[in-house]
Amino acid sequence: MVLLKLENITKRFGGLIAVNDVSLEIEHGELMAIVGPNGAGKTTLFNVINGVYPPDEGRVIFNERDITRLPAYRRAPLGIGRTFQIPRPFSSASVQENVAVGAMFGTLAGKVSVDGCLEIAERYTELVGLEAHKNKEAGSLTPVEKKMMEIARALAMKPKLLLMDEAMAGMHPKDIDEMVRFLKKIKKEENIAIVSMVEHIMRAVAGFANRVVVMHQGAKLIDAPTEQALSDPRVVEVYLGRP
Amino acid sequence: MKRTIPKYYPLIPVFAAYLIMFIIGFTMPGMWQMVALLAFYCALGQSWNIFMGMTGYVDFGYVTFIALGTYGMALGVQYFYQIEGLGIGIIFIGIFLALFLASLSAILEAAIALRLRGAYFAIACIGINEGLRYFIEGAKIWGGSEGIIFSGALTEAVGREVANQLTTFWADFAVFIIAALAAFLNVHYMRSKIGYALTAVREDEDAAKVMGINTFKYKTIAFLTSGLLGGLVGAMAWGLKLTHVFPGDVFVIHYTVECIVVVLLGGAGTLLGPVVGGLIYGLSKYWLAVILPGFQLLIFAPIIIAIIVAFPGGIIGLVKQRIKGTPLERYIV
Repeated sequence: MVLLKLENITKRFGGLIAVNDVSLEIEHGELMAIVGPNGAGKTTLFNVINGVYPPDEGRVIFNERDITRLPAYRRAPLGIGRTFQIPRPFSSASVQENVAVGAMFGTLAGKVSVDGCLEIAERYTELVGLEAHKNKEAGSLTPVEKKMMEIARALAMKPKLLLMDEAMAGMHPKDIDEMVRFLKKIKKEENIAIVSMVEHIMRAVAGFANRVVVMHQGAKLIDAPTEQALSDPRVVEVYLGRP
Repeated sequence: MKRTIPKYYPLIPVFAAYLIMFIIGFTMPGMWQMVALLAFYCALGQSWNIFMGMTGYVDFGYVTFIALGTYGMALGVQYFYQIEGLGIGIIFIGIFLALFLASLSAILEAAIALRLRGAYFAIACIGINEGLRYFIEGAKIWGGSEGIIFSGALTEAVGREVANQLTTFWADFAVFIIAALAAFLNVHYMRSKIGYALTAVREDEDAAKVMGINTFKYKTIAFLTSGLLGGLVGAMAWGLKLTHVFPGDVFVIHYTVECIVVVLLGGAGTLLGPVVGGLIYGLSKYWLAVILPGFQLLIFAPIIIAIIVAFPGGIIGLVKQRIKGTPLERYIV
């Protein structure tokens, strides 16, 4: 079943076409990776999906509902979660409170009390291995811990679709393997579709995704099952240029 | 539900401070004026802090609400005193008008200025304040620059003796109540969804939106609450107490600066901060005016700079760090 459908999305910034006529479908519970070099339009595509800005052309359909013009804060309660390339914690609040914000304003918004959200937050803080830091100020965490906290915050939103922006950049290969295992486990338990955006860490892509979309200069170049996509000669071309 | 009661523990030291101030003022001869001044600064700090402390937005035009509250009381008394049988009820008409004017301007200001951030927001608020003042003076509404003097109207409405009690005691007493109400609302917001949303806004507004927070709505809630409380303070501490209002006296940015000093001194975003800040600022202003008249600001400026550099979290911010992990933590927020 299709969860998210992008129809001919185009986004321009002045004369620059950041995303050029991209169409894409994501199924419920699918694990997908979007790869492409710096400037390929990956983050712009994410921003269009979660409503940071509307596209210039095209439609975004989530769960059979047209959300093209819906502001970002109304998309989160529908089930779109997001982590950022550079972590954006609410620094002065504790780790647990940060995660609780996700529970409070995500798909559970209005259904669970503040105390209930704090309990949910406790569970997810534990899940990502930050239980020892739950009362610490989020700003005092290490970069990797901040990334884990952001994942917990996004998961506490109980999303149907989780957009992860370079979640594994700058991580040790061992940590990447662990993260991949963790994401697969989460996906299995909660049936969340996860779209992970990766610039160049193919180790993460190969281990994680069932399907890979390769972007290049704003356009979708390849959309295929992981193995097929990664062995496509055009992928090498995108990164290194034509020999 | 197990957290419901402890969540209001931090009110204990705040209310205790207000109670002690009240008792001192009420029982010790000659102290009432000073205590009233302290309560005024505490109430203002507390009210201003609800918006600034929680959102990080610095409202330089805050005095607009205090001024409009004063006008609300003045208009209520001046235009309704001839109605028979209202008696003391006229004060409530004044309060109602104060709240009405304050909320009206808060909503308009929110619609315009809350879409801006940082310095632009601050400047827009100053602009609205100055604009209102010159509008009242220029368009000659509500008495124009001559203002409204309503001591006569008040005396006629409630009698000389009651009017006297209202201006010398009840106006100041009401400021205590407003300060307590502001403290209660502050804690209530801090521990509810509103507090979490506003913390997110303060730290990273764009990330907050992506997390599903309707940032404009929550900012408006805090702004409106803060503005209504400011309007009440104006209605009581300036309106009812002084029984006159002149635009040149009330739309003065200086009072917003005093709010900022009180809050930063005590600790922005903390509950007890504005009380501590209000007490220190009020007391030193009072004594400095006696010992070295005219030098208050000259002495205050370096102290403020020193405090902001040495402990940016204010006095309570510092105390909070010290008591982290001790049982006291529950009482000081």
